[in-house]
Amino acid sequence: MLNYTIRRLVMAVPTVIIISLLIFLLLDLAPGDPTAQLPLTIPNEVREEIRLALGLGEPVMVRYVRWLQMMVVNEPLHALASVTGWENLRPDGQRILSWQSRSPVGDIIAQRIPQTLWVVGMGYLFGILIALPIGIISAYKQYSWFDQIGTFISMVGFSVPVFFTGVVLILVFSVWLGWFPSMYDTTLRVTDWDSFMRQVRQMVLPVSVLALFNAAQISRFMRASMLDNLNQDYVRTARAKGLRENTVVMVHVLRNSMIPVVTVIALGVPAVFSGAIITETIFRVNGLGALLINAIYASDIPMVQTLTFIFAVLIVLFNLIADVIYGILDPRIRYD
Amino acid sequence: MTSKATLWGAAAALALMPAAAIAAEERTRGSSGHLNIIYWQAVSTMNVFLSGGTKEMNAASIVLEPLARFNPEGELVPWLAEYVPTLENGSVSEDLMTITWTLAEDILWSDGTPVTSADVVFTYEYCNHPEGGCAYRDRFAGIESVEALDERTIRITFDEPRPNPHVAFVGAGSPIIQKAQFENCMGARAPECTDANFAPIGTGPYVVTDFRPNDVIQFEANPNFRVPTQPYFQTITWAGGGDATGAARAVFQTGEMDYAWNLQLAPEVIEQMAAGGQGELLVDFGPLIEHININLTDPSPDLPVDERSTKLHPHPFLTDKAVRRALSLAIDRPLLAEIGFGEMGLPTCNFVVAPPAVSSPNNDACLEQDIDQANALLDEAGWERGPDGIRSRDGVRLEKLFQTSTNAVRQDFQALIQQWWREIGVDTRLRNVDAGVFFGGDPSSLDTFQRFSADVQMYASTFEGTDPTSFLEQRRCGRHPRPETQWQGQNINRFCSEDYDALWLEKSREADPDRRAELAIKLNDYLVQNYIILPLVARGRVSAISTDVGGMVMNVWDSEHWNQAEWYRRTE
Amino acid sequence: MADTLRVPPGTEPLVQVRGLKMHFPISSGLLRRKTGAVKAVDDVSFDIFPRETLGMVGESGCGKSTTGRAVLRLYDITAGSIRIDGTEIGGLSQGALRKHRPKMQMVFQDPQACLNPRMTLAGIIGEPLDEHTNWSRRQKLDRIYELMDAVGLNRNFANRYPHEFSGGQRQRIGIARALALNPAFIVCDEPIAALDVSIQAQVVNLLEELQEKLGLTYLFISHDLSMVRHIATRVAVMYLGKVVEIAPREALYAEPLHPYTQALLSAVPDPDPASERKVERIILKGDVPSPANPPKGCNFCTRCPAVMPVCREVEPQTLEVAPGRFVACHLHDKGKPIGGPTPGANQTTSNQQGATP
Repeated sequence: MLNYTIRRLVMAVPTVIIISLLIFLLLDLAPGDPTAQLPLTIPNEVREEIRLALGLGEPVMVRYVRWLQMMVVNEPLHALASVTGWENLRPDGQRILSWQSRSPVGDIIAQRIPQTLWVVGMGYLFGILIALPIGIISAYKQYSWFDQIGTFISMVGFSVPVFFTGVVLILVFSVWLGWFPSMYDTTLRVTDWDSFMRQVRQMVLPVSVLALFNAAQISRFMRASMLDNLNQDYVRTARAKGLRENTVVMVHVLRNSMIPVVTVIALGVPAVFSGAIITETIFRVNGLGALLINAIYASDIPMVQTLTFIFAVLIVLFNLIADVIYGILDPRIRYD
Repeated sequence: MTSKATLWGAAAALALMPAAAIAAEERTRGSSGHLNIIYWQAVSTMNVFLSGGTKEMNAASIVLEPLARFNPEGELVPWLAEYVPTLENGSVSEDLMTITWTLAEDILWSDGTPVTSADVVFTYEYCNHPEGGCAYRDRFAGIESVEALDERTIRITFDEPRPNPHVAFVGAGSPIIQKAQFENCMGARAPECTDANFAPIGTGPYVVTDFRPNDVIQFEANPNFRVPTQPYFQTITWAGGGDATGAARAVFQTGEMDYAWNLQLAPEVIEQMAAGGQGELLVDFGPLIEHININLTDPSPDLPVDERSTKLHPHPFLTDKAVRRALSLAIDRPLLAEIGFGEMGLPTCNFVVAPPAVSSPNNDACLEQDIDQANALLDEAGWERGPDGIRSRDGVRLEKLFQTSTNAVRQDFQALIQQWWREIGVDTRLRNVDAGVFFGGDPSSLDTFQRFSADVQMYASTFEGTDPTSFLEQRRCGRHPRPETQWQGQNINRFCSEDYDALWLEKSREADPDRRAELAIKLNDYLVQNYIILPLVARGRVSAISTDVGGMVMNVWDSEHWNQAEWYRRTE
Repeated sequence: MADTLRVPPGTEPLVQVRGLKMHFPISSGLLRRKTGAVKAVDDVSFDIFPRETLGMVGESGCGKSTTGRAVLRLYDITAGSIRIDGTEIGGLSQGALRKHRPKMQMVFQDPQACLNPRMTLAGIIGEPLDEHTNWSRRQKLDRIYELMDAVGLNRNFANRYPHEFSGGQRQRIGIARALALNPAFIVCDEPIAALDVSIQAQVVNLLEELQEKLGLTYLFISHDLSMVRHIATRVAVMYLGKVVEIAPREALYAEPLHPYTQALLSAVPDPDPASERKVERIILKGDVPSPANPPKGCNFCTRCPAVMPVCREVEPQTLEVAPGRFVACHLHDKGKPIGGPTPGANQTTSNQQGATP
């Protein structure tokens, strides 16, 4: 398993490099201009100077190699230096600069990670926590009223867009009832009970929206996987052994059903990092999703490149993690 | 300007109410506590010179200040300067070649050091550096030198007589930055000074305590601000992100925010939210004008790529003034304004719509749609209707392509105008281009507004400050985009008239404000009465403010936050 | 080994099934209302005596596996009575059944699917011990090894997972698992159907060996008539949810009474070439009717080569036509007037098993 993991990691390097090249070229070739958002009062000569100052004057491959060097060497070293406090690690070389803010993209991304992980991560976590019992009970009591309601809610979570549920929640809980804020305050520091409660309150709405959506998806997976396993012969064997129903369902069926579900959950983790663009926009969470969409609108290509590259790496990584988890959970799978 | 009057009325009414309102003399620095501002288009840097966006300019305007700025009436008022230099007070030389500014006394940077003329000179050098990519470099165009005569006096020398010398260091787009802070950030090194760019040291009422690009800025009252009792708000959270609807909701309905900027929302949405009563809508009209540009050259795709929309091929029928006039007559401008912008738009027939002194009173006739007259005009000019109702003359059919950027309001306008033009026998195909591409200026793209691969196109134009001279200069001969200029240039119509150029030259050399205004009106009339440009709607700036916040005075000629120091909370 | 030797008259049957019905509801429509039922097992009665093997044969889909599972109450049955070792389990709740599970066990058809893929061999065999005993780890491990020895599995395999074994080995695991709690009665549901022919004999021999050694009673369900002939003491033939004939093995194979049994046996290649000529191969026409909608009268009437008008009207009773031989067919129903009323089900079942005093 260890060998397998190492080999997969090594194999991932060329994959990631090819992905990075594709991302770079695609974004570079895409129409759009960093000065397009500027007021029309700014004359073209000035626009041209701005473009040159952004480094757009150089050939694409030169820019790619420079970006890759910054991406894989300078930025990680900077991050390491910031985390450990070893200033001598900090490289002298340039860092990737956002065209919008002219500041290192690494710093901005680091700034955005906490709220994304808090809100989107919690949304995912709660989604899973809600989904698993619903999926299990729905499958065990297939076609019961519980299952029917669960199915209905999943369909709602699936089919009703987040921008609709989000706005409905804001109208009900922020505008009418005034229980929760409609805007997320990223500057809030949790220092005491009061600020903790404020943090909880501002997280309730976005987390609920995301949890509903995630729960809808995962509960269907869980239900389908449980149903698959409930009809397996080994379940009948377990019953024939005279095991408690609880043991049959929770030990035999659930453990086997969890194999694909855990994989799906692991594969969903990169999506947590990439944020939830719509939810973040509606609730003004300003996480990574909002950062990405904003950078796309503003043609802030270095930011888009860096973010998409990080997402690509995370996806490759979590694919590997999912495979490894699968191997651990399912003794029938062997990697060597 | 009516809305502003309403606001003042409301402010007065509220001030008279007995409820915990406090009198101005009781207010002190920080007494109003905390202010929440929401910019749904978030601010990405505090260094205006590196951005050029309005949002960055507004945020920076409460930290960085110019020598003089415009008040809500569009008049210049001294800010960091002692007075506004004019010919009368002798600070502008008779030959219009120099202007001399004097800094007000005892102005301190927020770090406590005094502001000197060296800072002003440095600002010029910083922004004028060719590698810096300064977005406001054009403010310093035509300047030969900026010299510090003494600690407080700065002389600007122009390379030719300058009737309007109040451009550099004037308005929110040309503030003074501190030399000590930015000394090592010149030219290509500008982006590396992240700390300085995010928290510039300024003279304004606030200092940045925390800046997160495209997210949130925290401000605190500047301890060294020159007015000891101001600013009234001790701290400001300047939030960014979300969407316009959310921002409007936060002011009007939930009261989480005190001020929201640029609420470009459908009129009915705004109205419904404003009914919440927690906030007020602020609308003020500047020079922002939604208009249709007529292409006087042939954009036909049958031509070689580099000859499309160039002077080599005049347009087959839009060169006929009767056709252009008919197109203008067929448009119902009041309806467009109502549908597209509601309270936030005014129908107009002028290209220069503000300030009032330079907006023409001569063109209001076109506000009324007249399909019959348009038809009569075309009949007269020999454009005959074919069996399908489309007019033609000598084998030229009145068929054209109408393009604009992708935007819900613009697509509504397109559909309406297409219908009206259909009624006068002009066939119109519609096209919309992603805004990033349309305004992107990529010379290799056929879809930019400069390239103008269509017969007519619609977008909005505006100008900085109160002087339309450079705005009107855009329609001079030789300013048209063409292959030789990498398709750059602002004479989108490919218009050229000696009369127009002569008028403009006269204006550019004229120093008398009344005569300048007269010439501006003539130039405007020339463009709209020749139907080179079909103005549609003057668009207002739209913001929302909590009814609990007072002191705000909308200003379209400068940053909306020009008097941020004077904002206060009615109930404390 | 004649039946009479094994089952002395007067012996109480270990398993007594009466009027067993297992209907699966069919739901359809928007509201998923119950609109019918698949009568997988419809009124089946039989006895199994201690230490004997009752073979149960029939085409696939005839309900024999369902019968096996229903007898062990792996389903909640629709109707009927099941007595095992003197305990009525037909109506017990699944919870109450648990403590009776050790007595009755099952060996399943697909040895791969019936073993939890995430449990080791020791876990699989030992789990019933965890559930039903309070033995120490040591005791349990000893028992696991003992069982592995008994079915001929190497003790070193205890920590391996099912997928690491061959089909035959897996079936041995299944058997060891079934034996863990010393059951008296084992339902073997097609235990060899999924195995290679070369392995089949090994497993059957193992089952016989264990029966001999441990005194087990089997219900051996199979569609393989020759294997049943080899292992069974008596044989029950099922068709479309019903038992059509029960007889001692020798008698049944020598002289099948029911036309369906005759057809079934005629399809079996006889090892004795001399006898082959005697038996004409009977080829049944048509398909087995749907158990959701069985024909009126005799279930077999749609395909029976000897069908009579009465067969389409009246359901035949199960009658003892010779000692120990029961058949449900109008051909053997001498005393009954043709077209007469169908006797009640109770009456049918009460006189089914002549061996019962």
